Amino acid sequence: MGDGGGLRADLVLEYPFTRTTGPVIGAFLTGLREGVITGIRRSDGTVMVPPVEYDPVTSEPLTEIVEVAACGEVVSWTWVDPPRPQSPWDEPHGLALIMLDGTDTPLLHGVLVGSAAELWTGMRVEAVWRDERVGHICDLAGFAPEVPGAVA
Amino acid sequence: MSGERIAVLGVGQTKYRSTRGDVSIAGLVREAAYRALEDAQLGWGDIDAVVIGKAPDFFEGVMMPELYLADALGCVGKPMLRVHTAGSVGGSTALVAASLVQARIHRRVLTLGFEKQSESNATWALSLPQPFSVSANAGAGGYFSPIIRQYMTRSGAPDLIGCMVAFKDRQNALLNPYAHLHQHDLTFEKVVESPMLWDPIRYSETCPSSDGACAMVLGDEVAGDAATGPVAWVHGTAMRSEANNFPGRDEVNPLASRDCAADVFRQAGITDPRTQVDVVEVYVPFSWYEPMWLESLGFAEPDNGWRMVEDGSTSLDGGDLPVNASGGVLSSNPIGASGMIRFAEAAMQVRGMAGEHQVDGARTALGHAYGGGAQYFAMWVVGSEKP
Repeated sequence: MGDGGGLRADLVLEYPFTRTTGPVIGAFLTGLREGVITGIRRSDGTVMVPPVEYDPVTSEPLTEIVEVAACGEVVSWTWVDPPRPQSPWDEPHGLALIMLDGTDTPLLHGVLVGSAAELWTGMRVEAVWRDERVGHICDLAGFAPEVPGAVA
Repeated sequence: MSGERIAVLGVGQTKYRSTRGDVSIAGLVREAAYRALEDAQLGWGDIDAVVIGKAPDFFEGVMMPELYLADALGCVGKPMLRVHTAGSVGGSTALVAASLVQARIHRRVLTLGFEKQSESNATWALSLPQPFSVSANAGAGGYFSPIIRQYMTRSGAPDLIGCMVAFKDRQNALLNPYAHLHQHDLTFEKVVESPMLWDPIRYSETCPSSDGACAMVLGDEVAGDAATGPVAWVHGTAMRSEANNFPGRDEVNPLASRDCAADVFRQAGITDPRTQVDVVEVYVPFSWYEPMWLESLGFAEPDNGWRMVEDGSTSLDGGDLPVNASGGVLSSNPIGASGMIRFAEAAMQVRGMAGEHQVDGARTALGHAYGGGAQYFAMWVVGSEKP
């Protein structure tokens, strides 16, 4: 018996859907598995990361997949503490829009620092890859402060 | 019909297959939409609004896919509407698009239906358990087989009428390059001997699971007059629905179906459908629905639709009322698109652009779709001349 005396029952629906990614999103995910971040070049020369199949302004199909840098600059951020139960991260972390070098749209990802005091707009960050990669955005463990002089 | 005249300016289809593993959902709809624009000799900028339909979201597990498809359909900054009416959705979607032209809200509307059945399992999606209810887990075949048995009993139809429909539609499909099933080696005997899935529905009497999309560009009278190629003119549109379960319901010949047919033919000025309509694309996912709908639509007297199958009247080869010259739902079933394919094929026939499955001299055609527990109906009559 539930609230008000009415009958209640659980209803759980589950099905293992398949997702066909197509040539563009598929290339992005395949790149992640190989430890490479890819974007797509639009007709005006700008590069979008992650790539999209159709130009958001002109609707033309986009096909020129380009490898982009695995380092860039934080353009906006927030501090997450505590992470929600389904978060990819167990520890408090930054969630930032990161403009990778040579790209024109920012990528949303985690920044792995210990406190909000270590995170600021304009800071340089570089990708941290997982050792085992499957073709998923979480193949990137996150971004960490760039070590000056290191090769990204 | 009142209001603005409506013209079908272009039609685009994908090749229907069990799996389109080479494209995303966006890539699939893009292919059909682009072909419809090409056929209409128009560009994305000529389109004022997009009306899209598909089966319930459970079928692929993408919630509100229309939102992410706006880029692929050239719809950024334009109105986009999604229509939901189960299996009839392809037809209803075309009619919502037509209504926007008819009401002079938009001049040119892109309308599209799609399904990527390979990404899910329709029988699962149609058999979701409900609390405090026993689930038959039967899918569509299990739902419709008792209704078909009821039709067979009350009409006295011979047992193999359904097999005749299935063999005819699969033969027609061989003439349609977009059809999913191209069964060159099929014989009538093989249809009869195929396994019984849901008695009385055999394996070869049921539709396949398909990936695919179908699109049309609809325009107003000015757009129709400006077209360089042939257009189809809409002479009538109608939708009806009813609950799928209530005491006294005629499940074989639902009232909503009869009312919908009466409405669409009245609008089109058709008083004797059998002589005034040249070709019919009717939604037949299970073979026996051809004679059942022929009766409900008024092409045959009650309990006599099966005679039109038996005597070859619905055959593309010499019949006076070819039914599903394209091969029908029995040969291609991307669910959310299946109704729109019927509407589009009707338009192709009166435009004289149906290729090898063209019915010579077709001037008036009916496109039909049904959905749910045979409870949602959508129909249009199109013609080669202005209404």
